[in-house]
Amino acid sequence: MTYPGILPDTDDALTAPFWAAAREHRLVAQRCSRCGAYCWTPSEVCPECLAPLAEWAPLSGRATVWSLAVYRRAMHPAFEDAVPYTVAMLELPEGIRMLGMILTSTGDADRDGEVRIGDEVRADFLEADDDVTLVRWRAARAAGDDYSEAKHD
Amino acid sequence: MSGSRGVAIAGVGATAQGELPGRSANGIAVEAIELALADAGLTKHDVDGLITCRNLQAHVGIDEQIGELLGVSPRYGATLDYGTGNFSLHLAAMAIRSGLAETIVLAYGTNQRSAKADFGIAVGGGAEMAAANGVVHVAGRAALAFRRHQFQYGTTEEQLGWVSVAQREWAQRNPLAIFRKPLTIEDYLASEPFVAPLRRADLTMISDGGAAMVVTTAERARDLAKRPVNVAAMAQRTAFRADHDAESLSRPWLGKLAEELWSKSGYRPEDVGALYIQDATSVWVLQMLEWYGFAPLGQGGELLASGATRPGGSLPVNTNGGQLSEAYMWGWLHLVEAVRQLRGEAGERQVPGLEVALDVSSHDFLKGAASILTTRS
Repeated sequence: MTYPGILPDTDDALTAPFWAAAREHRLVAQRCSRCGAYCWTPSEVCPECLAPLAEWAPLSGRATVWSLAVYRRAMHPAFEDAVPYTVAMLELPEGIRMLGMILTSTGDADRDGEVRIGDEVRADFLEADDDVTLVRWRAARAAGDDYSEAKHD
Repeated sequence: MSGSRGVAIAGVGATAQGELPGRSANGIAVEAIELALADAGLTKHDVDGLITCRNLQAHVGIDEQIGELLGVSPRYGATLDYGTGNFSLHLAAMAIRSGLAETIVLAYGTNQRSAKADFGIAVGGGAEMAAANGVVHVAGRAALAFRRHQFQYGTTEEQLGWVSVAQREWAQRNPLAIFRKPLTIEDYLASEPFVAPLRRADLTMISDGGAAMVVTTAERARDLAKRPVNVAAMAQRTAFRADHDAESLSRPWLGKLAEELWSKSGYRPEDVGALYIQDATSVWVLQMLEWYGFAPLGQGGELLASGATRPGGSLPVNTNGGQLSEAYMWGWLHLVEAVRQLRGEAGERQVPGLEVALDVSSHDFLKGAASILTTRS
């Protein structure tokens, strides 16, 4: 099935390393080699100290849901076959925020708002087509879930 | 405004709003300019400044293009890249106070509806990353902000609904408004969410239209056709940096902008007789009621549900119907309405005894502007 959404340009010089890592199921973000701050979204320079950003560092893959919203209508025609789906603003322990699309703990689209504000989610990966792997965030609420222990690392 | 060179709005104009097929954005802007000049009792030869506003989706609305159409070569010309009404007003006031120009016509025109402009992709950095996650259209971020407000303060969808319902009530009294069909709170709650918890009525329409203003020195304005509306205070603030802070969706920096506005102007929220909030979404109205001090943080929903912002209420908000019901003019029609209300020209929606209005606008999560307008000298 064709991916129902908008695919990124994975050849874009600024973001290519992110997509290359996602292809290998690794979540990364730029980290300033001078001041150590993480940066999201990708940037040429560190917004903290203005050093050029060249280094990509692995992230824990954990995040907390700050808020969420459910797209019941496609607000862009590309998503017509994707609705309903849930998106979230996520807070990462690395001190950055990310927008993300949420999956249920079983890896399905969260159509009914299973995830709640304050929940922990874990990075997951979706092979959108032969070239592009997208990051998704999977709920970590199920009992006995490995991820629930990781919250306070 | 303190100092020797006070600035006033001397004329306003608005074209028909809605669908203007076959018209160019610049042509619509010129029509609005003619209307505003006529309102002030001036012609294009009386103007020595032109400020315009670039359209978001196309390279139109540039001062050079509109100046050529208008057939003028004013001393001063400028274009704002994101020129909601009062960002443009502030630039005009600065140009006048500095002596770069004395009488400036400001205009915005758009054919975005007929041209089928694409509002799906977010504006600004990170848009592609957002789209890869399904976050398209400002409705997504506004819904995230509102859901958080609900979580933190217990605000209900019904309370938020009063933004759209109250503005529709105002729009029914405004012949210029596009959406005038009655909308009750029951209708609102029964309507289907677009990006839950937000509904269609929480989101700006897309429409064609034009608006313009003539701004000059307070001194010159006194000799013109209409009662001058003085620009009593201006404040702006940016929030370009937000990469570390999820809270930025709540736009707390607007509180700092408000603090500066009130402390520098000497005005207080209680002085404001009508409030104009540029409303890309209803959530902006809720946020700005709180950040500008009309309700304590977290209690904007209660203020809305009290009916204060409706016709006859104690704090009339967006008496034109706003972008949710009147037209999508980037806040320009909010200013046009504020001027007409302050002059007492607003017919059946007139706010009695109005002397002070506040106009606030924002560009997504990036910047904001606030202007106090008054007929007091």
